[in-house]
Amino acid sequence: MAELQRILYVEDEPDIQAVAELALETVGGFTVKICASGEEAVRDAEAFAPDLILLDVMMPGMDGPSTLEALRGIPALAEVPVAFMTAKVQPSEIEHYKSLGARDVIAKPFDPMALSDQVRRIWQGAA
Amino acid sequence: MTPTDAEQALTTRLEELRSRYLERLPDEFAELSALQGRLSGQEQDRDVLDELQQRLHKLAGSGGSFGCASLSIAARSLEQRIGAWLEAKELSLDAPTRRSLMDEIEALSRTVPERPERPERPAFRVAPEARTTSDNTLEVWLVEDNAELCRQLQQQLESFNYEVRVFRSIDELKGAMESRQPDLLLVDVMLEQGRENATERLVDCPQVQALDCPLIFLSANDDFPSRVRAVQLGAQGYFLKPLDVPRLVSRISQIFQERHAPAQRVLIVDDDADLAEHMRLVLTAAGMEAWVLDAPREIMETIAAFRPELVLMDLYMPEYAGTDLAGVIRQHEAYTHLPIVYLSAETDIERQIDAMGRGADDFLTKPISDLQLVAAARARVARARQLEERINKDSLTGLLKHASIKEAANREVLRARRIGRPVTLAMLDIDHFKVVNDTYGHAVGDVVISSIATLLRQRLRQSDIIGRYGGGEFVAVLPECEAEHARRVLEDIRRNFASLDFGRKGERFGCTISIGMVCSADYPDQDGPELLVAADEALYKAKRGGRNQVQQGVPAHTREVTD
Repeated sequence: MAELQRILYVEDEPDIQAVAELALETVGGFTVKICASGEEAVRDAEAFAPDLILLDVMMPGMDGPSTLEALRGIPALAEVPVAFMTAKVQPSEIEHYKSLGARDVIAKPFDPMALSDQVRRIWQGAA
Repeated sequence: MTPTDAEQALTTRLEELRSRYLERLPDEFAELSALQGRLSGQEQDRDVLDELQQRLHKLAGSGGSFGCASLSIAARSLEQRIGAWLEAKELSLDAPTRRSLMDEIEALSRTVPERPERPERPAFRVAPEARTTSDNTLEVWLVEDNAELCRQLQQQLESFNYEVRVFRSIDELKGAMESRQPDLLLVDVMLEQGRENATERLVDCPQVQALDCPLIFLSANDDFPSRVRAVQLGAQGYFLKPLDVPRLVSRISQIFQERHAPAQRVLIVDDDADLAEHMRLVLTAAGMEAWVLDAPREIMETIAAFRPELVLMDLYMPEYAGTDLAGVIRQHEAYTHLPIVYLSAETDIERQIDAMGRGADDFLTKPISDLQLVAAARARVARARQLEERINKDSLTGLLKHASIKEAANREVLRARRIGRPVTLAMLDIDHFKVVNDTYGHAVGDVVISSIATLLRQRLRQSDIIGRYGGGEFVAVLPECEAEHARRVLEDIRRNFASLDFGRKGERFGCTISIGMVCSADYPDQDGPELLVAADEALYKAKRGGRNQVQQGVPAHTREVTD
C-alpha cells in the first residue's frame, strides 16, 4: 500500500488553516496544500495530486458537499478519499456525509497533536 | 524522553497561533454582542440569528484547537439553541429569552482560560525526519545538605544526561524558585542535621504549591507524618536511605516518560447521540482520545481498531443492553481485563449490583458532571495502566517482559507492512555479563541492567518499544524507523553505555554492549519471530566480531554479495 503523503485541506478560516498546517506538516510529516475555498480546491487539486482530501463543511460560496461533488467530477480525483471536517457531528449527519461519498468525518475542534494520527487512521481504513 | 528542539519549536509555534487567535476573540465577542443587540423579538430576527448561529458554529469548531475547549462547548450549546429557534415556524423571542441570550454571549469571554486547557502535557511526537535523540538536558534540582550524598547523586544523574543544581537549604531553594522552575525536584526530608523537616517547611510554601514539576523526597527515617505530608505536597516518590541510586534514577526517568505518556483512550457506548458527543468533547478537551461507538454490532471491530483502555457503557439501549455488550466483550480472552463502567440514570442500588455482576467494574449515575466524568475516566485508565504494567513489565527495569516484547515485535512488523513503513528490531546483549555477576555479585549486575534500561528509555523515542528479553539481553522495537537512522541511535547508545562507570567499594569498572539489528525493509517476507531470529544472528556476528559493536542483519538472498 502506498504511503499517505500529500494532503489537500480546504478551509476558509485563516486561524484553522494555520493550526491544521502545523498539525499535519510538523506533527504528521505530511506534505500539505491549503485551499481557502471550494472554488480554489477545484482549480488546484488535480495539479497537487493529493492522496487524501480534507474538506471543511461550512464555507462561504461552495460548501464542503458541493466541493466534493465537483472534485468527484475530475477523473484523476474520482478515487481520492475525502473526509469532512465539521463542528456538527451527530451520527445522523455522519451517515449523511458518508452517503455523499466521504470516507469519514473529523470533529471540530480538532486537537492539533492528535489530528495526524486521526487522518492516518482514516487513510488506513480507506486503503 | 526529553523534548527535542523540534518539539520545542512546535510548542512555541502552537503558542503563537493560540495568542493570535486570542487576540482576535474580543472583536468576535463584540460582533456577537452587537448582533444580539439587534434582536427585536420579531420575525425579522431570522437573518440576525442566522448570522449569530454561523459565527457561533465557527467558534465551536475552532476554540478547542487553540486550548479553549470550554469556549467550544459553550458556543456549541448556544448554536444549537439558536438552531432550534430557527427551525420553529414562528419566531418570537420574548424579552427574558433575549436577555438570557445576551448574558450567555457575554459569558463566552469568561470561558477563555489564561493558560491553554490542556491539563496534562500532550503526548506528541514530531515528524519522523525531525526526530532525533535530544541534546536538551532536563534540570533536576537537589536539596541536600550532606556533601557526600550530593556528590554521589550529582555524578550519577549527570551520567544520565540530567543537569543537577544543588541547594543546601529550603531557603536557598525558595529564592531560586522565584525566577524559574526545575524539571524535577529532589528533596531530602531531614536537613540541617535534622533540625529542619523539609515536608513541614514546604507544606505552606506558596512556590511549592504552585510547583508544576514532579517532586521526590529522600529520607533516612520512615516516619508516617512526613510520608503523609509528602503525599499532600503531591510527591511522586519517597525514597529511603541508604539510597538505591539506580532505582532512583530509573524512577526519575519513568516520571519524565509518563509526562509524555500517550493520550488515554476511552470508548463511549451510548444510544443518546447528543450525550455521547458531549462526553466525547469533554474527554477530548481533557486531553484524552475518545471514540463513540456507532453501531453496537461493530463493537469488537471498534475495540480491535481503537484499543480503548476504558469503555463507558450506557446500561439501557434500545437494541442491545449494556450488560449484553459487556458480556460479548468478556467472551474475548484478550479483553477480560478491559475496564467497563456503566453509565445510567439508574439509582436503584439492587439493579446496579446486578449489573455489576455482569462483566462491569463500576457504575456512574447520570447526570454526571463533566468534571466527574473526566476524573472517573482518568483514574480508571491510570489504574488499568498500572495493573498492566505489573503484569507485562519486568520489575527491575520497568521494561516489557519477554513474552510482551515478542508480541510487540510481531504486532509492529505486521503494522509496518500495513502502513508501508519500515520497522527496525534490535537485540542487545551486555558483554561478559556473567563475569560481572560472578566478580561483583548480582546486586552490582542489577545496577548494570537498570542502567542500560534507563539509557535505552532515554535515548529512544517515546514510540519505541523496549523489553528485557533475558538476563542481560534486551530487545528494542523501533517503528517507522529506517536502518540507517536506527544504526546511528544504537551506536550512540553503545558509546554512552561504554562510557558509564560502575563500581563497588571503590573498585571501578566499565561495561560494553553488543547489538544486532534488522530492518523490515530488508526482509519483506519475514514475520516478527523470523526477524527476531535474524536480529539474534546479527547479534552473534557482533559478538564474534569482537563485541562492543553494532551489526546489521543481511537477508539470505543478498548475503553472497555483501558478506
